[in-house]
Amino acid sequence: MPGRTEGIVLKSRPFGEADLIVEYLTRDFGIRPAFAKSPRKIKSRFGGSLEPFTHARISLMGREDANLPRLTQSDIIRPFQTLREHSGGFVQACGLAALVMKLLPERETHGAPDAFELLLWGLDGLEREPGSSFVPVVFKLRVLALAGYAPSLSGCARCGRQSEAFNFSFYPRDGALLCGDCKKDAPAIKISAALKGLLGSLQAFPLEKLARIKPGEKLLSELKGFVETHFREGANITVKPARPL
Amino acid sequence: MSQGVIENLIEQLSKLPGVGRKTAQRLAFFILNMKEEDASALAGAITDLKRKARSCRLCFNIADSDLCGICRDSLRDKKRICVVEEPSNILVVERSGGFNGLYHVLMGALSPIDGITPEMLKIKELVERVREGGIEEVVIATNPNTKGELTARHIKEALGPFDVSVTRIAYGLPLGGDIEFADEITMKKSLEGRRKIE
Ligand SMILES: [Zn+2]
Ligand SMILES: [Zn+2]
Repeated sequence: MPGRTEGIVLKSRPFGEADLIVEYLTRDFGIRPAFAKSPRKIKSRFGGSLEPFTHARISLMGREDANLPRLTQSDIIRPFQTLREHSGGFVQACGLAALVMKLLPERETHGAPDAFELLLWGLDGLEREPGSSFVPVVFKLRVLALAGYAPSLSGCARCGRQSEAFNFSFYPRDGALLCGDCKKDAPAIKISAALKGLLGSLQAFPLEKLARIKPGEKLLSELKGFVETHFREGANITVKPARPL
Repeated sequence: MSQGVIENLIEQLSKLPGVGRKTAQRLAFFILNMKEEDASALAGAITDLKRKARSCRLCFNIADSDLCGICRDSLRDKKRICVVEEPSNILVVERSGGFNGLYHVLMGALSPIDGITPEMLKIKELVERVREGGIEEVVIATNPNTKGELTARHIKEALGPFDVSVTRIAYGLPLGGDIEFADEITMKKSLEGRRKIE
């Protein structure tokens, strides 16, 4: 496997006496575990660069098919030390990492740069505002889309009508909207026009512009309910949430 | 068959951490040439350890009776507790000669991503020891990494209601290291932990 890329540490586990297996989300190769020799020794040249969420320029050595490339270099780009020092923010960030590991297949290079940028965006948001309820929910929505579970919100899935006046409901099992005329007998959640608009923006906006969206508390909690239901019912995924301490 | 017995020992030895096939082979042949009583003493020590070792009721150090040697030692400073993640960490602190109090082994460190929560560690038991009184200082010597730090902050909070000084071991640049090779995180921690030159 090919040398240099950028990586974010998702988690790591001890291996042997002083070695570590580091699970990275890399910009170019997707999720990759890497073997790091002796980082747990006090004089290791890796220093603090293998701590969770560190964004670093890394070098991985090994054959293309190697299961466990060896980490030969790791230079910190952004440490995210402030995030790690805030217990609540750190637990939230663990939640983002758990989603990445749950939803994105290992070694998937397709879309890896987008996933990478998304995680950086999430970590940045949590470092700036630990405890934010906006960042985790938007992250979840966008990572679901990257994994191919984007809810389809462009209009009625049956008749194609777009107008808000037809009062849409969302059918989590189908991941789609139906209008009032096409509605069927299945579990559904009412979607307000405001939420439909918000979801559209959250899915379409480039990451750097997401911060401009500031939904009110009521809309935010509607958004959370929607994303959770879609996650559970539509994508049919359960993730053990990172428990608060 | 003689190949069988040596092969068996090599296989058992290579289960040990840091022992590869080659080292295991070297050790096995060394044991083969040992005096009978030395080899028996080694085998006996292993069996003894597994049969008698248990957790100290008070500090969760390895003990051979209800309390470990350190908790039983009347010369130790009973007003100080050093908190470590694993029993093996006690040996390192002891060898340093820098601490003469008691210990408390947490049996791990907090790790939200691995699902390790406070209830899974011996934190309640530590709080209980402090609640009983007589403790002036709790020195937190968990590992200088994210899990260790998180654990340290959690313990500091859990001990908030008590009149006890909670301290954290200093960390930063390793002795014999060179600033030029320090990474940003280690350097920042070293600056935070700076102190007056006495
Ligand atoms: Zn319709
Ligand atoms: Zn003890």
